[in-house]
Amino acid sequence: MNYDNLLNHSEEINELLARYGVKFGIYKNNEFKEQLFPYDTIPRVIGAEEFSSLEKGLAQRVLALNLFIKDIYSEKKIIKDGVVPEEFVYAGSGFLAECDGVMPPEGIYSHISGIDLVQGKNGEWYVLEDNLRIPSGASYPMIARELCRRCNPKIYAENHIEENRNYAKLLRKTMDHVNRGGHTVILSPGRYNAAYFEHSYLAEKTGAHLATGAELIVENDHLYFLDYSGKKEKVGAVYRRISDEYLDPMTFNKESVIGIPHIFDIYRKGNVALINAPGNGVADDKGIYYFVPKMVKYYLGEEPILQNAPTYLPYYPEDMQYVLEHFDDLVLKDVAEAGGYGVVFGSKMTKEEKEKFIAMLKAEPRRFIAQEVIDFLDIDILDEGKIVPRKADLRAFVLMADKPYVWKSGLTRFSRNPDSFIVNSSQGGGFKDTWVLSQ
Amino acid sequence: MGIISVENTDRLLWLGRYSERVFTTLRLFADYFDSMIGLNREEYEQFCISQDIPNIYTSIEDFTGRYCFDAEDPNSIYSNLMRAYDNAIVLREEIGSETLAYIQLAVYAMNKAAVSDAPLVKLQRVIDNIVAFWGIVDDSIDNANVRDLIKLGKRIERIDIYSRLKMDGAELKREMKRLNVRISSVGIRYSHKRLMHLNYLVEEDEPDYEEIVKEVEALIQ
Repeated sequence: MNYDNLLNHSEEINELLARYGVKFGIYKNNEFKEQLFPYDTIPRVIGAEEFSSLEKGLAQRVLALNLFIKDIYSEKKIIKDGVVPEEFVYAGSGFLAECDGVMPPEGIYSHISGIDLVQGKNGEWYVLEDNLRIPSGASYPMIARELCRRCNPKIYAENHIEENRNYAKLLRKTMDHVNRGGHTVILSPGRYNAAYFEHSYLAEKTGAHLATGAELIVENDHLYFLDYSGKKEKVGAVYRRISDEYLDPMTFNKESVIGIPHIFDIYRKGNVALINAPGNGVADDKGIYYFVPKMVKYYLGEEPILQNAPTYLPYYPEDMQYVLEHFDDLVLKDVAEAGGYGVVFGSKMTKEEKEKFIAMLKAEPRRFIAQEVIDFLDIDILDEGKIVPRKADLRAFVLMADKPYVWKSGLTRFSRNPDSFIVNSSQGGGFKDTWVLSQ
Repeated sequence: MGIISVENTDRLLWLGRYSERVFTTLRLFADYFDSMIGLNREEYEQFCISQDIPNIYTSIEDFTGRYCFDAEDPNSIYSNLMRAYDNAIVLREEIGSETLAYIQLAVYAMNKAAVSDAPLVKLQRVIDNIVAFWGIVDDSIDNANVRDLIKLGKRIERIDIYSRLKMDGAELKREMKRLNVRISSVGIRYSHKRLMHLNYLVEEDEPDYEEIVKEVEALIQ
């Protein structure tokens, strides 16, 4: 695989990314700061055959997850049949009682799914996490590819790399598929959101209107965008980049000033599509993750193509016993946390920390999951002119329209710290383009 | 006009105003800087009066550093550039990434100038990027109303600054002509009465500059 040309121009490519404001926001000491997202020009390369298997597995998983959410907010058969214990559905913060009995347009709940995977040293891929609420990150490899092509576009043809600049088209198709008639908007909390670059970039690339809650109004059971002249333009689909609780102060958090009053009412009536649907958190809870392979079998009658990282639920006594016996070999995750927070490695705790943690685990077994520490396959990054191995994950994107479309690329995030498994940008990680070979 | 919100209309206008303010004050500052460093060390006081900004500076050195680069000084060129940036960053889908990039580049250039031992040389990059920004506004933005709003802001700001500086009437007349063309093409609410009055004021042999500033500031409703 020849990408020397990109390596030789790493600095210029990062300068171009800075020029276009490819940043993420972060709050430090209650102060908002914009940070550049370091880009590594060495791509992650996934072979055609390998990706074909991933593609099938991702589509299967997202189909099953959509069916699960639909079931939970309607018949709840999977609970009645004893496949998923009801505590895991109702006790988590992801289940929204307000969504019970609400059917979104076309029956699609997770229109944009971000599935986090890692590759073990054995070459096997493992799903680490499903992100079905507001998964972000697609814009980074999109723009990085665009800018890297300026270096040498022939690299992509010569290496038979699948195109990834079609994400905007796929996203537009996904939004149009459920649009109830009218404009499509991307609803952003505003520029002080961590992912604001992505909101504005996707609006530019899809031709959707970027809006804040203050620019949208519900009237006569429909949603309207307020034009400067006072004209009201009907909106049929909202790709909302604000979380469920802030979406509608009349239904969820009353304190929300970034949402749209009554939008949930008209969503319930089927007059506007919300992308992704509210209430998806019921399916991407770290506790529910354990049950996803079971969902695939239950809803699709198929063997899961993708595997989870070996996971234990201390909720089950036999799993609790295993966790206590193998504590040092496991990574423990607080199901309520995200972004790399609430993740602790048993082996890295002091004796006191361990005792304290185990007491907490016993008191609140539903709050944690434990996973075997996967020996990640290291991938190369360029660090101050030297090529060094680092841990990395892959966020794959699946867009659901008339069928699931797996984007033939993805966001590869890596840790810049040689001793760390945490790849999140908020924790200092960088990103790479993901090359999927076409042959 | 396409579908543009009230907020974005306002932001486009102010993007034009702040980009012009940075451009003109930087050029003025460069002229004054040369003169002040030579014989007229107190000339910065005149500069503050002309710009209607409080003279909070303790010396010529304090003025040259803070007026350009002090993030805490709301009247500094840096603060005005950041206001241009604050407006531009939320307009990506209206103006496009290519256009926005020139404001971003101006910010980077300003930061580099702030730590340089030859700030005036480096500040030229800020001016260049602002000029490039205006060029690409003309060249790349398809929506005529988006273009016109930025340019309208620019014209308003220029008349405002030129009046504060009591510049030659011919300059004001030229800018007023440009403003007349622009304002009629933008579907934005403005005071026709004030526009007429402004046209009258700039034609005077001895223009009432304070009145022009007052009228142009209140032109858009």
